[in-house]
Amino acid sequence: MSAAEPVAFDHVTKRYAGTADTQGGAVEDLSLEVPAGKICVLVGPSGCGKTTSLKMVNRLVEPTSGRVLVGGVDVMTRDVIELRRGIGYVIQQVGLFPHQTIGENVVTVPRLMGWTAARQRERAEELLGLVGLDPATYRDRYPAQLSGGERQRVGVARALAADPPILLMDEPFGAVDPIVRERLQNELLRLQEELAKTILFVTHDIDEAIKMGDLVAVMQVGGHLAQFGPPAEILANPASDFVARFVGADRGLKRLSLTRVGDVKLQQAVTATVGDSATEVRPRAWSAQPYLLLVDAAKRPIGWLEQARTPSSGTLTEDLAVAASPLMNRRTTLKDALSMLLDADVQVGIVVDRTGAVLGLLTAEMIAEWMRDTAAGPRPVDPMAAGADDSASPEATAPSAPVASTES
Amino acid sequence: MIDWGWLLDHVGAILGRTVQHIELTAIALVVGFALSFLMALLSLRRPGVYTIVSGLAGIFFTIPSYAMFAAFVAFTGLSILTAEIPLVLYTFVIFIRNMVVGLQSVPRDVSEAAEGLGFTTRQRLIRVEIPLAIPLVMAGLRLASVSTIGLVTITSILGDSFGGLGFFITERPFFATEVLVGAIGSILLALGADVLFARLQRRLTPWSQVGRARTGDGLPRSTDRPVPA
Amino acid sequence: MTILGSVAAWLTDPANWTGPGGIPIRLAQHIGISVASLAIGAAIALPAGLWIGHTRRGVRLAINLANLGRAVPSLAAIGILVPFTVLIDPEAGFKVYPTLIAMVLLAVPPILVNSYAGISEVDPDLVESARGMGLRERQILSAVEIPIALPVIIGGLRSATVQVVATATLGAIYGLGALGSFIVEGSAQRDDAKLFGGVVLVALLALTSEGLLGLLQRRLTSPGLRFAAR
Repeated sequence: MSAAEPVAFDHVTKRYAGTADTQGGAVEDLSLEVPAGKICVLVGPSGCGKTTSLKMVNRLVEPTSGRVLVGGVDVMTRDVIELRRGIGYVIQQVGLFPHQTIGENVVTVPRLMGWTAARQRERAEELLGLVGLDPATYRDRYPAQLSGGERQRVGVARALAADPPILLMDEPFGAVDPIVRERLQNELLRLQEELAKTILFVTHDIDEAIKMGDLVAVMQVGGHLAQFGPPAEILANPASDFVARFVGADRGLKRLSLTRVGDVKLQQAVTATVGDSATEVRPRAWSAQPYLLLVDAAKRPIGWLEQARTPSSGTLTEDLAVAASPLMNRRTTLKDALSMLLDADVQVGIVVDRTGAVLGLLTAEMIAEWMRDTAAGPRPVDPMAAGADDSASPEATAPSAPVASTES
Repeated sequence: MIDWGWLLDHVGAILGRTVQHIELTAIALVVGFALSFLMALLSLRRPGVYTIVSGLAGIFFTIPSYAMFAAFVAFTGLSILTAEIPLVLYTFVIFIRNMVVGLQSVPRDVSEAAEGLGFTTRQRLIRVEIPLAIPLVMAGLRLASVSTIGLVTITSILGDSFGGLGFFITERPFFATEVLVGAIGSILLALGADVLFARLQRRLTPWSQVGRARTGDGLPRSTDRPVPA
Repeated sequence: MTILGSVAAWLTDPANWTGPGGIPIRLAQHIGISVASLAIGAAIALPAGLWIGHTRRGVRLAINLANLGRAVPSLAAIGILVPFTVLIDPEAGFKVYPTLIAMVLLAVPPILVNSYAGISEVDPDLVESARGMGLRERQILSAVEIPIALPVIIGGLRSATVQVVATATLGAIYGLGALGSFIVEGSAQRDDAKLFGGVVLVALLALTSEGLLGLLQRRLTSPGLRFAAR
């Protein structure tokens, strides 16, 4: 498997003759670097120049000024045919040759490069299997006989055929329905884990960009780069009003979906075990907070003990505890965790490990604090909020009681 | 090279032949149009009819016109019928295909919308389908007129009273002036008709500028068939 | 009935199958000159049409040429050449050259226009995708555009064939020979059997050649394209 190569844009500008530079399709002073083996998503509204930028990598479009570098080499200095054969290219309409079979389509570039028929056949089978299509069934079919999702898979297989270090994808999943799209996205991520290619991916869908990208480049109409960085960064600290608007008013939730419980420092749970003496527990627990987590011998949570309800003597038994909090594990996203807390109408969730033993506590307050801490700098005002109230700040002070406040 | 004396002497004859040329063409166009219009309407009711007709039409236009004219002499002598029947057949062939395809090419959603709005079948035909078929029919008219003008020249084989400008081509083949008058004359006539009908087509159907597939404007499609020769 | 009978008799008369005025020779002449003019016409029109379709340059010119070609009556094409070609050679310049040249001139427009249209109908996204994969322009034309455009291109050949066979028939008026001669002679000699025999032969040739090309058209269409057309 060939090693991936980095791609870089160095002050690249593209202007079309006779048009003002604010017209769609032009690119203005684009500079960014994509390290080898990473997925960089170019995202933005129509006319922001994302497709034009992509096409400058395989020279379907040539820059007016600036350089595009592949593996550190200016693409303009390389033979254009050699360059293109070394870069995989997938477009939205796939562009499969309708007059050739799937098998023939897949090995288009290897055939150009003069591979033997046997090697071509082998590679076709390998690639079809890689993208989840049974070679025996699909190899001799024609593109018109396949569904949109299947055609797109073949498109990806064809792009990978000559094992190029770089892959260019121009809205590859735009033409299929959302269910198929999600499946294809997951498959691509899975493939990427195996193959580690440098992928440049163009989309207009910010959710797709966040999901797919290691790095996200947000572009705006006129071909300007608005922000470039990991998805978490774009969500947490949008560099401008445009980026904040483009990302969407729900970027807070989007950020939460990117982080998992395991990434957050958990609050320690003060516990008491079944069978403990009530008197022993007393001084330890009640001073800190009015609730205590009752666990079993294997440290698995049973429920909450309320000070007022617990007898001051005797042993602690199961029936004394109230099970109110949802259980979550380290892989749960913060978004799901928050959702679980909201559903259960409680402030505290219990984090357990694979055996079910308590690891710690996660409160809604902690989630809010995490949001605050990871978003440095002033937050742009949401233009949708007409009033002066600070709708963007999550300062809901929640009562520290873990159970529903409606309880008498 | 050119005998201007002859030209000046024969201006009247040239004009006369031009008129004859136009007459013969016009008759063929009108009759052919009417017949194919009727046949097209019939085909709408009975699709099977069109298949037969188009099959026969396919055979007709492949047969060289010279052979056609010569064959008809045996039946209709050297009368105008001998000239006109094949001419009408050839225009019919062009018109029928364009009309039927034109009527069929009305987008389904448009006729369904019309039906949904409460048009009767007849109203739909008159108000929706025929107007939308006009571009293709106009293209057919253009093609038929050019083709017929060409075929009229061949009718000169039927004798001196026919041929339009074609008469000058065959009367004295070595006499350059006369041949040029006949040849260039008929070419100009054909080009004139082409331009005229192209303009007319654009005037009548401004909406059909989008998408050349609808206008059938000169550029062939994979489903196209040859024209009579 | 009598006409049919006499034609049948004429066609089966072995005398008509021998000699320089016989059916085989004239058939060969007709086919020969038709094939020759088609070949020359295609040699001119095919590369031009493919190039125009691929580069999209000279489209206006191609369209205007097509319209002009369509407007020229075949008889006019032959006739207009005669006074000039006789200057080259008084005999061949009357009998053969004008008809041959006219046939080539009339074959060019349909082949040119169909080649151009067929290529330009190919989905431009497909072409760009092929280019992006690293196919050279020539390879794009040969591996992608031509195979897809083939049915339309052959359609152009079909049109040209009909034109050419008909013009060769006309050429008999100027003494070309070929199958049209039976019609000319039959007409002059008031021999209906001969005349109709000629008509039948010409019709058969025209239909056969057009039909053969139609079969070729279908044969050369990739099955993948037939699926796509559904």
